[in-house]
Amino acid sequence: MIIVLMALAGLALTAPVPAPAEAGARPAEHARSGITPSAATRRVADWIAASGDNASLPYAIIDKKGASLFLFDAKGKPLGKVPVLIGIAEGDDATPGIGTKDLAEIGPAEKTTPAGRFLARYGLAAGQQKVLWVDYATSVALHPIPPGASKKERRRQRMLSPTPADNRITFGCINVPQVFYSQSMRPLFQKKGGYVYVLPDTKPLEAVFPRLVVDTAVSGGV
Amino acid sequence: MTKLAPAIAVLAGALSLGGCATKDFVREQVATVSQRVDALEAKLQTTDSTAQSAMAQAQAASTQAQNNSQRLDQLNARVDGIEQRMAERKRPRN
Repeated sequence: MIIVLMALAGLALTAPVPAPAEAGARPAEHARSGITPSAATRRVADWIAASGDNASLPYAIIDKKGASLFLFDAKGKPLGKVPVLIGIAEGDDATPGIGTKDLAEIGPAEKTTPAGRFLARYGLAAGQQKVLWVDYATSVALHPIPPGASKKERRRQRMLSPTPADNRITFGCINVPQVFYSQSMRPLFQKKGGYVYVLPDTKPLEAVFPRLVVDTAVSGGV
Repeated sequence: MTKLAPAIAVLAGALSLGGCATKDFVREQVATVSQRVDALEAKLQTTDSTAQSAMAQAQAASTQAQNNSQRLDQLNARVDGIEQRMAERKRPRN
């Protein structure tokens, strides 16, 4: 009996330890910075990693409900998580034609950050500036807090606050911390771009990412 | 003892006859159940092969969808690039 127990203990010690890519997505690690991936985030992250949906490009998952962004390299290794600011209005769709409107013409209910899977790439915007377009058609980009943002909006304070409840303030764009943008996002996305998966506010996850259902079923998950 | 002998014989006969009837009954029941099991097994095999075929088709469709999606992404990026060069440049929704 003792020999059997010793053998089992030996096996336990030599059992494979999860690779950093897997371990990185675990809640414990995210909890260190106060941001924990939701069940939906974990589900989408697992699906992307298993299906290779990111087509060997880096990717980010944006959890609107948690107002947080999780960044991964092309191989699915987690690189970081930060709080984000998103559209002030709750909703998962963009109003048709919103991409051609001036900021002043956009109504309060139209200021949504649309949910979905986007191939984000750097491109030109007004004023000869280069921005990371998440969805060019609806004018949604990912960038740091713009210097011209109204002081009344208190964007920086909202980003630093521990609660995600006050992180809805933009016209639809996704604002990330400046250091994270320049040190993590830009180097990773500036060459070939990458995928941005924006999780929904109200729609079912499967409605926004239909392949989630198919791939899960095919891999025997359902 | 001589008076008991016929009774014992009758009892033994009854028991043995009863035993035969029970065996037949059981055989009949087993045969019925066995036929049902065979039929169910055949159905299960058919269902299993249908499911496997459906799974293979779903897998192929999923791969095709992934390829289409990636092609669409590339086309979208090209269209966006052309639009950025041709049209008046957009302002992000900050």
